[in-house]
Formats: sequence, structure tokens, C-alpha cells
Amino acid sequence: MSEFWKPKNARSKRALEAREAKEIEDTRTAIFIKGTHTGEVVNNVMKELMALKRPDAVSFSKKNAIRPFEDASSLEFFSQKNDASLFVIGQTTKKRPDGLVLVRMFDNKVLDMCELGVDKFVSMNEFKTPKSTPGHKPMLHFASDLFDTHPRFIHIKSLLISFFNGQVIDSIHLQGIEHVISISLSPTPASLDTTSTDLQSLPKVHLRTYTIKLTPSGTRTPHVTLVPMGPSLDLSLRRHTPPEENAHLYGLAMRKPKLKKQDLDKGLGKKKKNVEVDEMGDVRGRIHLGKQDLSGLRGKKMKGLREGMEDGDAEMESDGDVEMESDGDDDDEGEEADEEDQRKRQRR
Amino acid sequence: MDVSDILAAHAAKQITTRVEKEIPLLIDAGFLTVTDLNVVDKESYDADREDYLLSTARDGIQALISTLFSLPSTHTQDGPLTSLPPPNTPLPRAKPLPKPKPPTKWEQFASAKGIQKKRKERKVWDEEKQEWVDRWGRNGKNKQGEEQWIQEVPHGADVDHDPVKNLRNARKARVAKNERQRLQNESRAQSSSSQLPEREKRKQEIDRTLATTRVSTASMGRFDKQLEGEKKLKGVKRKFEPTETSVESEKKTNLAILSKLDGDAKRARRDVPGDDAINVRKAIRTVSKGRGSAALARPVGGRGGKTSSRGSKSGGRGRGKR
Repeated sequence: MSEFWKPKNARSKRALEAREAKEIEDTRTAIFIKGTHTGEVVNNVMKELMALKRPDAVSFSKKNAIRPFEDASSLEFFSQKNDASLFVIGQTTKKRPDGLVLVRMFDNKVLDMCELGVDKFVSMNEFKTPKSTPGHKPMLHFASDLFDTHPRFIHIKSLLISFFNGQVIDSIHLQGIEHVISISLSPTPASLDTTSTDLQSLPKVHLRTYTIKLTPSGTRTPHVTLVPMGPSLDLSLRRHTPPEENAHLYGLAMRKPKLKKQDLDKGLGKKKKNVEVDEMGDVRGRIHLGKQDLSGLRGKKMKGLREGMEDGDAEMESDGDVEMESDGDDDDEGEEADEEDQRKRQRR
Repeated sequence: MDVSDILAAHAAKQITTRVEKEIPLLIDAGFLTVTDLNVVDKESYDADREDYLLSTARDGIQALISTLFSLPSTHTQDGPLTSLPPPNTPLPRAKPLPKPKPPTKWEQFASAKGIQKKRKERKVWDEEKQEWVDRWGRNGKNKQGEEQWIQEVPHGADVDHDPVKNLRNARKARVAKNERQRLQNESRAQSSSSQLPEREKRKQEIDRTLATTRVSTASMGRFDKQLEGEKKLKGVKRKFEPTETSVESEKKTNLAILSKLDGDAKRARRDVPGDDAINVRKAIRTVSKGRGSAALARPVGGRGGKTSSRGSKSGGRGRGKR
């Protein structure tokens, strides 16, 4: 809550509490701002990106003279006012035609930015296919080796995950997943260097959206077919500010909440030992019992092993590992088996 | 019976749901994200771009979907809910982590004593009415005594004994006490966040004001009436540098002094309107050491140095008196 003033009624108190920092955060709200000049392409791109981002999107209808790479003070103000932590700023200039700037905020301050140029845009309306429901979570698909190696693409991947899917959720209704946003890169040129600042050599980013169709395959997992939904964008990378430039802010932003005891018991934050899923999809656990005491064990007495005939070896083989198996199915009726199952699953 | 057709069909179905890649796909089920780190195939990309993008996306999503469908799910009223693992892609937060609330005094005590927190129900059972009534508020249980139309008066009570008023006062006092404790907890929480508690800060401020007032009289507090138990004012303690210091530090201090002098000279020069504007009378007085321009014309005798100036000064004054 603000230090400077206290809410005067319950409603404003609730509104303030909703804005307070939380351990598990809500979805980031994005503000779509038009710069001093936006062409038709940028307008349409922003409209359709907003359609994908809805309902966590706010559109500013007026033009704003904002140059995020030069002065971000107005962004900080808008962020604070609207409780939004993402910006999409559209701007077309002669030098940088059809530009989109993605800005990510932390604590109402600019954390990182990336400018993208729209090279090709195909609108949603040009695909005469079913569309996804607003507010449903998309699946994200990234395809290129550069998403693991090149700092620019690692950055854009992180930005786009924050933009479309940044909320941490603990469960989901699978039938509600309707669409896919696929981000692929054009083939990597052989001369690409991870440290070079030459923007021309960077491969293009292809953003495609598809709806998914699940058909039964006879196995547990359905067969997936993708249908283009639109919008589809071909983007090129331009200026950027990596989060590492604001090292202090970035450090604060990457802090993790302490794991609760309950979660620790579930096995979070620890390496899972001796639990694996076999080819059949069953969970197999291994329990270590220690060395078995076999000194008191009496073997079968045989005539040949009597005293005076000591050349046979009656030692038994002992193994520390005992394999246990539990089914992945829910059909087990036995209570004990069920409990065992649940404990296993929690550990998973 | 030939089952090879059935087997082949089944195998075909299996193939469509299985995805084989050179580098296995990275799946982050928590963010519903799949990353395909295989190198983009230039040939098929150039041949038919959209088709290539669609097919790679399909493969990736198929792998993600099969992971999602293998996750454990629970049945709820709204349908099956699949529980997702925590995401493994680190993303920056939008707001800083919330600070833990400082415990209230009661919470501190309770944790020390191991007292479990109990939730009080809003309603309590009323034996007489045989129904659930509110614990507080309108017609609350805590006002039951006050609202009775007949009250018991203890034996030997005062004439102005008013049981309703007493009960009401007691209830109001409880409310006031609770509010006071809440405020205390709040101020304690605030003070723990800043360096000094609010009370200490105020104390320091008062001490400072008192010290200034004590030395603000004409005699700087020397002849003020001393009050009983008044403490002696503590002044600024003088600090002396050690006589032997390192060459470095000595050089540093001396240079600092020099630069200060230099600065003074510059400032003084600035005060003069022009460089060549000399106050002639003042210059003569300085050069002749106060003896006037006639003294300058005379040749300087055996006197010289400091002694001469001293002598001349006293002489000058003497002459003036005569």
C-alpha cells in the first residue's frame, strides 16, 4: 500500500491491495501506445496483437510523443497509473519504418526493451478459419538453435513468454487450450557471430498463430493438427536494451520467493532421486534398505554341507536395491495402494 | 486371422503422436512452452516457408500436448484439471517480492508459547433464543447484557449505580484497548523498517533544540540559572592529528591548505573592479609602512626587516600624538 496516503473506504482499499506486490503474480497487463506517427500496418499489427493479449490489454487511442530509448519517464508514469508492466509502442519513421517497441517493466521502472520492425503482416481476417476465444492461454513454440545461444534471441524469447504466457499457474483445463503462437527464425547465416552488433546479419523472426485441432489417435495422447489462424508477422530485430544493463533492477526482478515447507515436502527445489518413469508410463521408485543382516539366517541343512565336508559355499547373494512398482492408473480400489499412489504422485 | 492390418494401423497412429528430433525438444509445461533447438533446415525453409513453419510447429506442439496429457489430473465440477509443474524458465518479476509482515506482539508471544491460531466464528449459539446470533454488531451477543430490560443490582450498591452504563463502558474500553494495541503494533512495524524508532528520533530532535536554546543567550548560557539535575552541555570535542603521519597524508593536507589559499587569492582578485585599478593611497601606505610618500623619497638607512617596521609603527603613532 502507498506510504503517502491511506485508503478512505473499503473499495479503494481493495483496489490498492489488488495492486500490491504478490508472491505469485498476476498476468502482466500490456498497454498499446501509438507513437507520433503510425502507419496502417503498425495500427493493424497492434490491434491484432491486442486481440491475442486480451483481456490483459489496455489501448491508448491518442498519439503520444514517446521515444522509449531516449526518455522512459512517461512510460513509468503510465505503468504506475494503469498497473501495467508491459508496453507495445508503435512508431513509423523514415529511418525505422513500421517499428514496434516491446518494453518490460519492473516495479514501474523500465527493465528491458526490444525494437522490432514489421517486414510482413498478414491479418487475422485474411485467414477464413476459426479463431481462438479471447482470454484463453496460448501454447508457445520457439524453433531455432539461436534461442539457446544468441543473447538477442534469448532476450526476445524471454520477452515474448512474459508477454503471452508469463503467469505461473498450478493447473489448467486442457480443453481450454485453443491456440498456438509459434516463433521461428529464418535459417542461421554461417557468418553469424554472437557478439556482433550488425543487425542485418540477424535472422528474421517469424511469428505465426495457429489453432489446434485434437483428434483421437487411439493412444492416450491425441493427434495434433494445426490450422493457421492469423495474425502472422515477419519481424526483424532492431535496437534493444537488455535487462543486464539495469543490473540492479534485474537482480531484484529475478529474486525467487522462499519455498514453503509444504512445497519442499512435495520435493520441489530438490533433485528427485530414485524416481523415474519407465517406457510404459509407470512411475518406478527405488528404495534403499541398507545391508541385510544375514548372519542369523539359517540355510537348508544338507548332508553335503555337514562338518568335515567344508568346501561348498552357502553364502547367499544380497542386493541393497529392491525394486518397487506402482501403477499410473487411478483404478486401484485398495485404500493402501491408493495412498501409496498419491504419495508417489506428490513426490512427482 | 491376420492382425497385421490392425497392428499396422495402430503403429501408424503411434507414429503421428510420437515426435523424433535430432536434439530432443525442451518442454516447459509450466509456461506451456516448447523450444525446438534443432538447426533450421534451409532447404525446406526455402522450398515452402509456411509449410515448413507449420510442420515444425506441429511437431513441437505434439510433443508438448503429449507431455500435458501425461500429467496427473484431478476431477472437479468444471471438468478435469491438469496440474502443471512449476515453470523452469526464469522470468523477471513485475513487482518486487512482498516483504513479510512483521509479527504483532501477540503473534510473537503466541509463537514463543506455541499457541496455535484459532479462527473465531462470526456467529455464536444462543441457548435462550435457540439460534445462532452474531458475536458483535447489531443485536450482537456482546451487547446482550446492555439490552436486557431488567438488571440485577448487587446488594449495597451505590445510589447512582447503573448496570447498563457499566456494561457499556466496559465494552467501549475493550474496543479502545484493542484499537490502541493495533496502533502500537503498526508503529512498531513501521519503526522496525526504518533505522531508528519514531520515539528515539523525536527524543534526539528535542535534545538538539534544547542544546541550541541553552547557548542562545547573550552570555552563551554562562550566567543562566542552573536547574536541578541539569546536565552539562557536551560540546564538540577537539581532535588532534597525530604529530607523526605518513609523508603522503602530510603532503595531502599541506596541498589542501595551499589550494585553499590559492582559491582565496583568486577570490580576492575578483573583488577588484579591474586589474590595473590600484588604490594609490593604499599602495603608498603599505609600501612606506604608514610613513607617507615623503618617507619613500628618503634613502633607507641601517634599519631593516621586522624590527624596523615595528619601530616605525610605534614612532608613527607617537608622532601623531604629539
